[in-house]
Amino acid sequence: MDGLAFPRIQALGIAAARGKEPKGAPGKSDSGSSRSAGGRVLGCQGAALEVECSAGRGGVVCLAAGCVLLRAPERGWRRGGGAARGIPAGRSSESLGAVSPQEEATIKQSDIRIMAGKVKWVTDIEKSVLINNFEKRGWVQVTENEDWNFYWMSVQTIRNVFSVEAGYRLSDDQIVNHFPNHYELTRKDLMVKNIKRYRKELEKEGSPLAEKDENGKYLYLDFVPVTYMLPADYNLFVEEFRKSPSSTWIMKPCGKAQGKGIFLINKLSQIKKWSRDSKTSSFVSQSNKEAYVISLYINNPLLIGGRKFDLRLYVLVSTYRPLRCYMYKLGFCRFCTVKYTPSTSELDNMFVHLTNVAIQKHGEDYNHIHGGKWTVSNLRLYLESTRGKEVTSKLFDEIHWIIVQSLKAVAPVMNNDKHCFECYGYDIIIDDKLKPWLIEVNASPSLTSSTANDRILKYNLINDTLNIAVPNGEIPDCKWNKSPPKEVLGNYEILYDEELAQGDGADRELRSRQGQSLGPRAGRSRDSGRAVLTTWK
Amino acid sequence: MLQEESDLSLIIAQIVQKLKGSNLYSQLERQAWASLQRPEIKLESLKEDIKEFFKISGWEKKLQNAVYSELSVFPLPSHPAAPPEHLKEPLVYMRKAQGSWEKRILKSLNSMCTELSIPLARKRPAGEQKELLNKWNEMGTDEPDLSLFRPVYAPKDFLEVLINLRNPNYENGDSLSFRTHLGLIQVPLKVKDIPELKECFVELGLNIGQLGIDDSTQVPPELFENEHVRIGQKVLAEQDSAAAQQYIRQGSPTALRAELWALILNISSQPEDVLYYEQLKTNVIQHDLLVDSLIYKDVKLTASNDDYYFVFEDYLYQVLLCFSRDTSVLSHFAFNSASPPKSYIRGKLGLEEYAVFYPPNGVIPFHGFSMYVAPLCFLYHEPSKLYQIFREMYVRFFFRLHSISSHPSGIVSLCLLFETLLQTYLPQLFYHLREIGAQPLRISFKWMVRAFSGYLATDQLLLLWDRILGYNSLEILAVLAAAVFAFRAVNLMEVTSLAAAEAVLADLSTLKVMPLLQIFLFATVT
Repeated sequence: MDGLAFPRIQALGIAAARGKEPKGAPGKSDSGSSRSAGGRVLGCQGAALEVECSAGRGGVVCLAAGCVLLRAPERGWRRGGGAARGIPAGRSSESLGAVSPQEEATIKQSDIRIMAGKVKWVTDIEKSVLINNFEKRGWVQVTENEDWNFYWMSVQTIRNVFSVEAGYRLSDDQIVNHFPNHYELTRKDLMVKNIKRYRKELEKEGSPLAEKDENGKYLYLDFVPVTYMLPADYNLFVEEFRKSPSSTWIMKPCGKAQGKGIFLINKLSQIKKWSRDSKTSSFVSQSNKEAYVISLYINNPLLIGGRKFDLRLYVLVSTYRPLRCYMYKLGFCRFCTVKYTPSTSELDNMFVHLTNVAIQKHGEDYNHIHGGKWTVSNLRLYLESTRGKEVTSKLFDEIHWIIVQSLKAVAPVMNNDKHCFECYGYDIIIDDKLKPWLIEVNASPSLTSSTANDRILKYNLINDTLNIAVPNGEIPDCKWNKSPPKEVLGNYEILYDEELAQGDGADRELRSRQGQSLGPRAGRSRDSGRAVLTTWK
Repeated sequence: MLQEESDLSLIIAQIVQKLKGSNLYSQLERQAWASLQRPEIKLESLKEDIKEFFKISGWEKKLQNAVYSELSVFPLPSHPAAPPEHLKEPLVYMRKAQGSWEKRILKSLNSMCTELSIPLARKRPAGEQKELLNKWNEMGTDEPDLSLFRPVYAPKDFLEVLINLRNPNYENGDSLSFRTHLGLIQVPLKVKDIPELKECFVELGLNIGQLGIDDSTQVPPELFENEHVRIGQKVLAEQDSAAAQQYIRQGSPTALRAELWALILNISSQPEDVLYYEQLKTNVIQHDLLVDSLIYKDVKLTASNDDYYFVFEDYLYQVLLCFSRDTSVLSHFAFNSASPPKSYIRGKLGLEEYAVFYPPNGVIPFHGFSMYVAPLCFLYHEPSKLYQIFREMYVRFFFRLHSISSHPSGIVSLCLLFETLLQTYLPQLFYHLREIGAQPLRISFKWMVRAFSGYLATDQLLLLWDRILGYNSLEILAVLAAAVFAFRAVNLMEVTSLAAAEAVLADLSTLKVMPLLQIFLFATVT
């Protein structure tokens, strides 16, 4: 185990990146605020709602950090054993203190588990909600060049950590907050690809979940707006487009999540023009990378107070095989500040609208008290009051269900690295028939706090996440069974536990989906907005 | 006995009189005529047969609900010889105080008019009308410059008036005596004590199931909730206002609340009601009133900044602007101690024949007024329905929270009830706060004036308003205010300034209303 090294990120690069951060006035460049500031119509789904610039202000940092070259370390640090880290390796918490080299040499991995040494943490996302949580636990900050146990990193850094060229391995007492190929879920095109594959597999197995209606649409697995990859699936898209020529589609670049390059189309000629333009552009060499997804635009969103909103829900995955995931009870709705009106205006106008999004990012309408955010319990109270209890419970059941399905869809391809956990930001739009649509999943949900409540929420989110990912706040051992006791879950609740679910037949799953047997726990759903757990797991 | 009988006949006469002019009356008449075609209606037993028909067809229930609604709204009959102002307010000094308060408000409104040289009302030019119509659903995006406008008054100003209220017939010497009231309210009014409150709010007792307590996750729903929901559905099926009102005392299930409240308030949302709302909307579009700016300002200052209600900003304009034009609101001044302010056509000041009520509904909004509407937005998403519910809530309850009267649900009585409860049951706390210059009423007044809207979490607020509707009384507000102080008494005993006391009580959004009320009323050793 010894001699494992971890790539060193050029310290300078990080420093430079960090130097940038304070430039944004607090809250101003928060992705949350840009989202809520919204824009007209499209702003909401087109750019503001569906797009998460990977962490707003953090995004600047991440991007910069991502550009940093990774070099093979000139001096690898010694890993494991705690020796090189100078962690007092006493057998009990009382025997902290200096230890002789001889003693050190005898320390085994198993001792570390019970050792009350201090976790050493690193982060390249300097958010107070993170740092406060680390410090509260008495953890020690180190630089990425030193030994660390816990690294909360940006998606760019994780890419480098697990890149083939780097070829490094983490040791048992190191934990990171991303799965190596999380992009299977968090990149728009890959997520759709995986879900499509998952559906086909279920269909092949003859699973009742893959049942279709008379129009060939999946009854239960149709939870992502119809999506195609461009240019690859161009012909398929055209075929679909011709089926319903009056619909609006939204174009998004695959990899990026900056809100840039997003636009709406409602005529085929527009997409032709786009493909012509991109071919003749001076960035021909990059056109390969410029893969787009085109999705059917949800043009009948549920409106509350006449406004469009999307849902941001936090989901923690501690392991993919077996799948174990947790739902955070305190999600929220993000409202556009501008009224929604279904628009059939021209593409050019839409561009104007999108420009507005950028301009309105820091719009005057943005309210710094509530930040355009509404708790999920408010949503539940509103829906139950105006639409009834049954449909509301069904909606929330379905939301939970589609999240689990999306995770199941990627579980087989996910590199289930035991050092990893991940907290995802799920973006969901509800249409006016109360059907939830999965829009996208973010690997780095914004940790910037736009309001006081936001800060509390995100602080608690990280707190509860750490309680599950790093049991007792002690030096982690990634070989543990990853099933924390109920008491530490905080505001998380188990969304799905594959091990527990085994034994439950698929027919049961289907039945409960149809609401015929919601099971004993579903019957306990409450007005107070406590999330309902169905027993389809 | 004789007295009671004559009272009853007086009430009946009053109600018959009122209903005769109503839409329901003509509907009933039409139904009666139409029923003559039916085979089961016989000439020899005409009266009985028609009555039977009304019963079967549900019209009798509608009539019952209408009568019940009149009974809940209309004050108890006074002596036949009593002048009409006694209906408004029997005590002369209260009437006088209200009168001079109104004068102050009006003066402030007028001086704002003059200062800003803005007319009280003006007709909008055609272009502007069109523009307003277009953005009717997104008035919130409009950012008129309101920096010069200020709320006509805030609850704080109103409290000062109440503090200075005196009964000239009551010996209120400077020297302390056992009669001296140590609180801020110095007028003697009869308010309930705890035994009386226990009797009044008997359904909130420890042995009776409550939504807001017995539906928490620890309690299996089979024990209370399921059955309660089932009964609620039955009550709705029966369409019986009185039953709904009794039922809701134990709290309304979230999913049934909108319908139950509408049933209790006797709001049915007929096509003509929608039409009426549309007419009010037309009035808004045609005329610009100074109060519109006050409403805008108020929404921007309150609901737009509220975690729970910002979403509904546009609904608030749609309701409140129409409300200000609704002359049917004027009828509630028959039993409101307040009177609608009058304005005169330019140049005809003082000439009664040129007088108009201003604003047309006679209600001048104050700081926080929009919070009366905001929680209702959680229940009704149709503006016309939302509007009707609000108007009815206003003329039944909310007007009492900002007019000076001796009514048990009036704000003066609520203040006194609050102070008396606190003084009687938490004398040490009361004394301590008084000594450090933090009179409890200074903190709780705003809660009561707004019926706690904007202070409690919405689900809790709705549970509280369930009880207001259920008991047809606002007294529960004063009880809750006292219960909140009792709940935080330990912390309050440690503070040494008004600011610190306010800080302890700044955030009520975590409170659970029903347990607080139940403990205060029924589980406190007295």
